[in-house]
Amino acid sequence: MKNYLIRRILQIIPVFLGILFILFFIISKAPGSITDNIMDPRMTPEMRAALQEKLDPNLPFYVKFWNWIVEALHGNFGFSNQHYKPVVDVIGANIGCTFALALTAMILSMLIGIPAGIVSATRQYSAVDNVLTVFSLAGLAFPTFFLGLLLLKVFAIDLRWFPIFGLSNATLAHAPFLTRLGDMAYHLILPAIVLGLAETASFMRYTRSSMLEVIRSDYIRTARAKGLNEKVVIYKHAFRNAMIPIVTLLGFRIPGLISGALMTETVFSLPGVGKLSVEAVNTRNYPLLLGINAMLTMTTLIATLVADVLYAVVDPRIRYD
Amino acid sequence: MNKKLMTTALSSVLAMSALAGCSGSGGDAKQILRFGVSGFEGAFNPIISSNVYDAWVCDLIFEGLVNVDPEGGYVGELAQDGWVIDEDKHSYTFTLKDGIKFSDGTDLTTADVEFTYNTIKEADYAGPRTAVGAAIEKMNVIDDKTIEFVITPNDFGPAAIENFTYGIISKEHYQHSDWQSLNMLNEKPLGSGIMTLDSWAAKQNVILVKNENYWDAANAAKIDGVNFVNIEEDATLLASLANGEIDFCQLQAKKENVEEVGKTDGIHLVSYLANGYTYMAFNTARPQLNQKEVRQALLYALDRPSFLKQEYGADELAALGMAPISKTSWAYPGDDELNAYSYDLDKANKLLDDAGWTERETVTRTDGSTIECRKNANGDLLQVEWLVYPEATWPTTLSGLAFDSWGQIGVNLIVKQMDFNTVSATTKAGNHGEKNFDIYTMGFSLSVDPDPTGGLFDGDSIDEGSYNCTSWRDERSQELMIAGKQEFDQAKRAEIYKEWAKIQNENVPTAIVAYRAEIWGISDKVSGLDDIGVYTDWTSLVKNVTIAQ
Repeated sequence: MKNYLIRRILQIIPVFLGILFILFFIISKAPGSITDNIMDPRMTPEMRAALQEKLDPNLPFYVKFWNWIVEALHGNFGFSNQHYKPVVDVIGANIGCTFALALTAMILSMLIGIPAGIVSATRQYSAVDNVLTVFSLAGLAFPTFFLGLLLLKVFAIDLRWFPIFGLSNATLAHAPFLTRLGDMAYHLILPAIVLGLAETASFMRYTRSSMLEVIRSDYIRTARAKGLNEKVVIYKHAFRNAMIPIVTLLGFRIPGLISGALMTETVFSLPGVGKLSVEAVNTRNYPLLLGINAMLTMTTLIATLVADVLYAVVDPRIRYD
Repeated sequence: MNKKLMTTALSSVLAMSALAGCSGSGGDAKQILRFGVSGFEGAFNPIISSNVYDAWVCDLIFEGLVNVDPEGGYVGELAQDGWVIDEDKHSYTFTLKDGIKFSDGTDLTTADVEFTYNTIKEADYAGPRTAVGAAIEKMNVIDDKTIEFVITPNDFGPAAIENFTYGIISKEHYQHSDWQSLNMLNEKPLGSGIMTLDSWAAKQNVILVKNENYWDAANAAKIDGVNFVNIEEDATLLASLANGEIDFCQLQAKKENVEEVGKTDGIHLVSYLANGYTYMAFNTARPQLNQKEVRQALLYALDRPSFLKQEYGADELAALGMAPISKTSWAYPGDDELNAYSYDLDKANKLLDDAGWTERETVTRTDGSTIECRKNANGDLLQVEWLVYPEATWPTTLSGLAFDSWGQIGVNLIVKQMDFNTVSATTKAGNHGEKNFDIYTMGFSLSVDPDPTGGLFDGDSIDEGSYNCTSWRDERSQELMIAGKQEFDQAKRAEIYKEWAKIQNENVPTAIVAYRAEIWGISDKVSGLDDIGVYTDWTSLVKNVTIAQ
């Protein structure tokens, strides 16, 4: 296991660098630059060129790539000229909300999706299964922004149970920490439901099909033949084995959740990296774009590693040597 | 174990929401003006801020030497009225008002003024005010209250006053070693304005509180603070305004928004024609577009009144574009002096016939239909490519209308979609005569002074990187622009700009599409904000604002 972990962590490095290299190449081919957004008629082409040289010097992409790596190793991820702040600070101000939102949505979707999938599988073709299938397909098919606007209209604007926008109430800026934390949780309920619903549907579908496959296998028949209680058969024998593909799903859903948060962030006016990266593309803010992508790449690589390790935890047959 | 964990998690979430419920209802008697907006980035320094949202924050925290009055003239803010302009020395001399203090109680003197402009002139300055620094040749501090600015010969004129609207920063507070260390102070602003920054959170809110030390007691704020709250969607803005979660906001100038505000109790609308326009630029180096008759024909064949109706819905939300001078400016020549290019396909056809585009060739258009496309004696097809960006809806609407009506006069329009930044980069690339586009459309906000040099219409800025991408240059137009820039007598200047506007209106290298309105929704509880206007920023009204409980 230890050797395997070291090997996997060492593998992450070339993969990470490779992805970044491709990113640098694509960005170097994109038209437009950060100064194209400045619309001041008094700015002469010479002034614009001088500013461009200060903000983003014209260098070959592999030189920029090398410089970026060297600086990053020193903990400097560049300067966002759109915000006049180091990239790390800009991402730092937005990442908390995205992770909080993604995590809440993930937990919510697992808490609902997995049990629903089991129920659906154990009562295949029953009324419950059909209803759950219809709901899960609807959940997958429903556009996030539309669902978001719908819930916003009903629960925030008409019923006024939840706040309409934002992550916090401006009047509580100096309130005690716990109050502010509670306020944040209160603001995150609707967005997490919206983001979690589509995820719930996919968790449910995966759990259902995985369970169905396992239930039909020989060892379940053996367990039943031994005269074991049906509950023990399903939850101890079948569920543990059915979880294996779900664990992989977990690792792969994390980056998806973060990018999926974009729509939710926009509808609920939340600070987040999804919106931030779209703005970075529009303003050709390459240092920020690279910072966000490096972070997302790293998150994905680590999430898949964790999923692989979790394999061994849920399935004792798997040994890493 | 698992069950226990879940119960704990669930109960703590419940506890949190209960807590939030308690704290949400705790009201206090402070009068806070809440502004719904999105786009602030945290660059709260008047010589660095590069978007209007950060600039609004700066306007409340800082004060400049002069400010714009409601008629588009200039009045002293930190400087006394009656500043001296020396036409021989090319200089502006300002004397500061008495008793000006920064919000920390220190005196604001000409040393701070000099420091502010010197910071812009530093070699590693990488903010958006480079042009301001370049316009100021040197400064002479005469005493604590008097300072002389010598303007470069090229920039000297009545429009040079615009260099003096930017907020003055404190020399003591803003000491820095380089550009990055200066930026570290963006979130710790110190100015002399009516508000100070309490705190801010990216994409969440900016909390400003009243400057209790404000030097001009008679003009101090009556309210306790201003909160900027981040709201992204137009529909959410309106709902928050109607629900009383914010006190005012700017809305997209669309008919639905006007109607919705009208229908909702407790809020009202303020609208005015903005200082700016949308335009359509032609690449006059192209054989299809180098005759003014062709450009005129394309305009006659564009039903702009229908476009305005379709795009904006209500008459008060947009006006037909006429000349490259804002309709709100004293320099606007008047509608009857200009050609409105009213929709007339016969006239368009005749212009194209007379210009020699008489031959025809069958061409398949991008939608699969065929038209008899016009051709000239050289065999050039009257075929144009229009760069359209999707960040705003109007270029798509306008090009959609043109696709039909230009097709009817034998012009094959190809609409090319690309994002705003790519359109901007594509049109700026290449020197005049080598540009790689036919038509593009964009919007422009104008400065208060009508001086058009350096911009879209200046025949001396038609090369790589400049704004004028049309490759069109006219000697008389250039002479008039320079004369207008140097003339201090406003009546004489208006005459000069009238002749200039008529030349542009006749030759249309860049046609003005529309002048657009700006609309604001304001809660009936707020008084003092209804005078928001084209030259009156809401920030300049905050000192008068009161809020009914």
